[in-house]
Amino acid sequence: MQVSIYRFIPDSDSEPRMQDYEYDLPDDRDLMVLEVLENLKAQDPSIGYRRSCREGVCGSDGMNINGQNGLACKTPVSEAVSRDRLVLRPLPGLPVIRDLIVDMSQFYRQYERVEPFLTNDNPRPAQERLQSQEDREKLDGLYECILCACCTTSCPSFWWNPDKFLGPAALLQSYRFLADSRDTATEERLSKLDDPFSVFRCRGVMNCVNACPKDLNPTRAINEIRTLLIKNGT
Amino acid sequence: MKDLRPVFLDLFAIRLPLPGIVSILHRISGVLLFIASLYLLYLLATSFGGETDFEKLRVDLESPLHSVLLWSVLSLLAYHVVAGVRHILMDLHIGESLRAGRVGSALVLVFSLALSVLCGVWMWL
Repeated sequence: MQVSIYRFIPDSDSEPRMQDYEYDLPDDRDLMVLEVLENLKAQDPSIGYRRSCREGVCGSDGMNINGQNGLACKTPVSEAVSRDRLVLRPLPGLPVIRDLIVDMSQFYRQYERVEPFLTNDNPRPAQERLQSQEDREKLDGLYECILCACCTTSCPSFWWNPDKFLGPAALLQSYRFLADSRDTATEERLSKLDDPFSVFRCRGVMNCVNACPKDLNPTRAINEIRTLLIKNGT
Repeated sequence: MKDLRPVFLDLFAIRLPLPGIVSILHRISGVLLFIASLYLLYLLATSFGGETDFEKLRVDLESPLHSVLLWSVLSLLAYHVVAGVRHILMDLHIGESLRAGRVGSALVLVFSLALSVLCGVWMWL
């Protein structure tokens, strides 16, 4: 198999380039894309990428694999490879620091903007704030996000308006707190989202749902926010 | 430090899933329809030019060039409307799941293609 990797080393490269490596796949088992990268890095230590848990929990190794965003540790080579070629590029739309490592500052700024923490101005109870099982269930499919940025960087609305549109990951988190029965800042949260760009730049392309390695659905969360904004009469 | 950071955004290297393709075609068909509206306005203005102009236009419209143009406009319109209806359904929270998104996109292509063929049948048969 040929592995083609996007290379950019700021000290020596003025432009990014693709570098090809030959890789012999084992006959007896499938590998994850990350394992291929690890083995190639043993041969060529200059290849740069992020990784940590190697089991789809930390969200560090999000990258563009044969044209599609995903986690290298959770993507089997057999699923990704096409015509005996594996093409690895950094996540689209974010500045490349080196090789497959992107600068996520923009992504984190969007996350910050939705204030991803519980806000409750009622007096603090002696122990924890309780929630019914039904209310807790409303958070399923929202809280599991690992912030890998696979969804946001696959979104055309994010590519064209990274500073104004919040992007699927941040909006999923926004709805996670809007939907939380313990959060009392719903009005304030909605008023901060009520402009033509923050939410409404979503055009329902659904690339985010397709990219999410945790099978979450940002499109649905965004539509719920829209419905809340409309019901709120803003 | 000089900012030398490149951004990877090669649209030909990024694989769009089916709903993404349907979405970009929706936008392209919208732009083309806007351009086509100039052609339709030209036809309308010509038809208002008097009895002889109207008759001439009526005969001209039978020509293969105009037929194909009009059929293209109808096909674009069919696609744009069908894809737009899908968006309205999504606004009503119908077809939001990954599977429904894929099925819905495929249905948009099937329906609009069928409408396009029907337009052709209506015009030429």
